[in-house]
Amino acid sequence: MKPFAFFPGCLIPVRYPAMEFAIRQTLPKLGIEIVDLEGASCCPDPIYFKSKDKLAWLSVAARNLTLAEDLGLDIFTNCSGCTATLSEAYHLLKDDELRDKINKRLKRIGREYKGTSRVRHVATLVRDEAGYDAVRESVVRPLDGMKMAIHYGCHLLKPSKIMNVDDPNNPTVLENLVEAIGATPVRHRNWYLCCGKACQHEGIPLNMMHALLSTVEDVEAEILCLICPTCFSQFDHGQVKVSKHFDYDFHIPPVYYFQLLAFAQGVPYEKLGFDRQRFKPECLQRFAESSVHVEG
Amino acid sequence: MAKAKKSSNNDVVKVDFDFRRQLATKVEGNLASFCYQCGACVGDCPAATYSDEFNPREIMLKVLYGLGEELMVEDSVLWQCTNCYNCAERCPQDVKPAEVIISLKNMLADLGIYPPTVEKIIGTFEKTGRTTPLSPAVDRQREKFGLPPMQPVPMDEVSKLLEPAPGEEETE
Ligand code: SF4
Ligand code: SF4
Ligand code: SF4
Ligand code: SF4
Repeated sequence: MKPFAFFPGCLIPVRYPAMEFAIRQTLPKLGIEIVDLEGASCCPDPIYFKSKDKLAWLSVAARNLTLAEDLGLDIFTNCSGCTATLSEAYHLLKDDELRDKINKRLKRIGREYKGTSRVRHVATLVRDEAGYDAVRESVVRPLDGMKMAIHYGCHLLKPSKIMNVDDPNNPTVLENLVEAIGATPVRHRNWYLCCGKACQHEGIPLNMMHALLSTVEDVEAEILCLICPTCFSQFDHGQVKVSKHFDYDFHIPPVYYFQLLAFAQGVPYEKLGFDRQRFKPECLQRFAESSVHVEG
Repeated sequence: MAKAKKSSNNDVVKVDFDFRRQLATKVEGNLASFCYQCGACVGDCPAATYSDEFNPREIMLKVLYGLGEELMVEDSVLWQCTNCYNCAERCPQDVKPAEVIISLKNMLADLGIYPPTVEKIIGTFEKTGRTTPLSPAVDRQREKFGLPPMQPVPMDEVSKLLEPAPGEEETE
């Protein structure tokens, strides 16, 4: 088992504990040991607090990174927003002048940022450290024949010079992860669109989500697979708003990838918190029995 | 071309260098200087697609001219940006319009201007160290999944990081 420091952020542990549960269930089966970070704060968020004061934002992000440096571990996140903040801080703080400035602030609390802990989203971590084959081997009930649309969201891949994860114009990491649990990834025409969460002008995100959900429906996906709690809330709670606004009933359950992986690894449907979603992935129930037929 | 300056004489554009200097004190605030107005950032910009008011190239142009007063207002168009970074992917000059826009929002914040939802979330973070408030219901939910209760964030440490040091802002 290889140890990594887990940065859970705020949204998942506070509002979506089922996602945290899924992470804790699935990673050990892939040879990844989760080490909890004591004393972490919000990353801080790359939309609101960053818009107030970038230097303060960087200072708090740097403090979070030093917690992992203290343990001598690389860090992983479970939210695209946290990934964006911590990766950007890691990238910007390679600049000596800026790092000195931030370290002057950190000195107030007896800390120093060194730049020794690399940051990755858990999806990237699984790809790099476990590999798709390990995911496939951990699955006891492959989701054969289930069509899944993928929502990459923005900050797993972009800005690509900072994230260095995959080709932002033609990524494959999530398709491969979806394939590894036996499902069939289907690309929809608006896969590139974001959900619009950061936009403070309601009409824009409503139109964006409408465009996106329409093309997901066009490809007849049963689930919209995603890897970020903010994207999730936009497409769960937000889907109700979109349906009302456009007077059209969408029914596309958004599901966090690691809950799907946990299900495919044999965790019962009822234990995965799906009852709390507005759009429940009941289509998974047709695999509920199949955990008995474990293949040799 | 958009009207860059509301001027009585269309041929004369006065560049407000003061505004640009102030913007350049923000982290990556001076990147707009490299913009040559090609418009590559506009095609994949979702906010520009769905709003007639928003255009990252025009915002960069206003920055180049130092037209701060058009951006430093309540309900600023800046808040229509979705932070998706498509513009940064497309820009041949590494301008990162998304980052310039955030730096401009930092200037708005210096003036105390925020959309109400944004101000509220920032307040929650500055008070608790998290953007999502805790409650007893949160820990009850966590318990259902066998997860330990949430721990408070050491705010004595975090708060000390929020104050600027004298003269620390970036210079160009
Ligand atoms: S990005 Fe969101 S979830 Fe992550 S720590 Fe920041 S506010 Fe919390
Ligand atoms: S899709 Fe939405 S929530 Fe997800 S990363 Fe993009 S803007 Fe943020
Ligand atoms: S793509 Fe870059 S250089 Fe071209 S207009 Fe946009 S910001 Fe300016
Ligand atoms: S980040 Fe760039 S591309 Fe995205 S909405 Fe803002 S200006 Fe447009």
